[in-house]
Amino acid sequence: MIKRELKVNLKGFIIWTGTMLVLLLLIYMVYPSIINGENGSKVDEMVKAFPPEILKAFNMDIAGLDTAFGWLKSEGFVFLYLIVGIYSCLLGSNILLKEESEKTIEYLAALPISRRKVVIDKILVSMFYILSMIILLGAFNMIALNISETPDNAQLLLLSITPIFPSIVLFALGMFISTFTHKTKKMLGISIGMVFAAYILNVISEMGKSVEGFKYISVFTLADSRWVITNSEIRPIFAVISLALCAGLLLLTLVRYQKKELV
Amino acid sequence: MQEMILEIKNLTKYYGKVKGVEDLSLSLHKGEIFGFIGPNGAGKSTTIRSIMNLINKDSGSVLFHGKELDRDAVDAKSKIGYLPSEVFLYDDLTVKGIFDHHETFYRKYEHAAGIHERRKELVERLKLDETKKIEDLSLGNLKKVGIILALMHGPELIIMDEPTSGLDPIMQNVFYELLKEEREKGNTVFYSTHILSEVSRICDRVGIIRGGELIKAGPVDEISDKQLKFVTVTTNDVDALVSDLGVKVLSKEDHTVRFANVLPDDELIKKLSHYRIEKILIEEATLEEMFMHYYTEER
Repeated sequence: MIKRELKVNLKGFIIWTGTMLVLLLLIYMVYPSIINGENGSKVDEMVKAFPPEILKAFNMDIAGLDTAFGWLKSEGFVFLYLIVGIYSCLLGSNILLKEESEKTIEYLAALPISRRKVVIDKILVSMFYILSMIILLGAFNMIALNISETPDNAQLLLLSITPIFPSIVLFALGMFISTFTHKTKKMLGISIGMVFAAYILNVISEMGKSVEGFKYISVFTLADSRWVITNSEIRPIFAVISLALCAGLLLLTLVRYQKKELV
Repeated sequence: MQEMILEIKNLTKYYGKVKGVEDLSLSLHKGEIFGFIGPNGAGKSTTIRSIMNLINKDSGSVLFHGKELDRDAVDAKSKIGYLPSEVFLYDDLTVKGIFDHHETFYRKYEHAAGIHERRKELVERLKLDETKKIEDLSLGNLKKVGIILALMHGPELIIMDEPTSGLDPIMQNVFYELLKEEREKGNTVFYSTHILSEVSRICDRVGIIRGGELIKAGPVDEISDKQLKFVTVTTNDVDALVSDLGVKVLSKEDHTVRFANVLPDDELIKKLSHYRIEKILIEEATLEEMFMHYYTEER
């Protein structure tokens, strides 16, 4: 079961991770020429023109865009959280549901394997791919940045870990919601919508006291990148909340799937 | 007393307000082929999907060897082979790939020790090319793969929903032979179909389902031979005869009338003796006619 799931989901993993790596490579290749010389001062002027709330929302008030590492800490990680988040949520919403959508569930249900084991095996495979994606992207950033400049590697390592927290929650959320439907098509829109909604709420929550409360309903708050950049540490509470939310949602998935009508 | 393999007790399933099956009870014995017949929408697939726990029962129970066959009865599931009415498998695999994948789930079971040899034998008998990809298979070949998957691990109970759809007549004969061999080995087959000729050809017992309820169950011979006869009579007093017998006329032409008779033979002959009969033909109903009788008369 695990072997087959690894094989089936490898293609998606390669496409998503490969695309991200190519994009990052392109950015690291062209970034020095963008930021050097006259362009650099133009970027500085442009950044100064942004309202402080926007600068804060993208960490641009605490990370300068004059280096590739600075870009990564601001816009780079925003982009990375989104992509890894979408991948994780789509993986969660599809991995169980595709058996029903493609009608292979009648074959799977007849095999001598419990529903619990089906869910657990699929969770293990998904976690493997989500963590592999985060490790590969982190390793690539580490290597690429160390070639071109001298980043704070300890901080970079901690930042590279942060995508895990929102991603595992988004994965579990996608998987749980998928137990309420039979069609993967429905889940595609829901998954992407959920990730963008969470992201937008997180951005808005940085824009003032009156909207600060939104951060409590956005999973991207769990990445806590601002704290990691300013204090060079991961707050354990965010790791604990992420793990608890993920475990709770996966437990609910197991309960729901156990009772689900599969055809 | 025959050993009971599968017992369905008071099974009820509604889809919202629409009845799937209601209070359905039946038992399958060791070493028999049980035909489960009914037209589309009668509740055959609902019954099978309830047995396989693909849908939730509203009430009732399904017992395999006397124990509840629930979702997590993994060992019990290893002794069951299932062929759904439409076979959907992993398109990215080859036929060999799906059989290899299937084998991995049964390695730890002693009763499935000969799974690989049995697979090779079935592939040869059903003339299947293992190198083909699942997505490239015709409906008939996909059905053959489904049949092999249902049989290769040596199941005690084989549940099949419309198994011959898509098979050519030669392969149908091979398939019937395989089922008969399973019966000889002492295995039990639950055979759902709407093709009545199949039932009379290979089944030992039959259950007729209509509107979600089991309306008749028993040995094929008993159901098809003993309880219903068709009588064709030619006489000048057709109207009086029909009125006297109180039967349902199936056809009437000039002085000839054909009707379904459920009276005992001696009573029928006594009544007919009051008339001048020119010709008479008494036929035992075939299973097909029995089936139609149940579906038209009691509807």
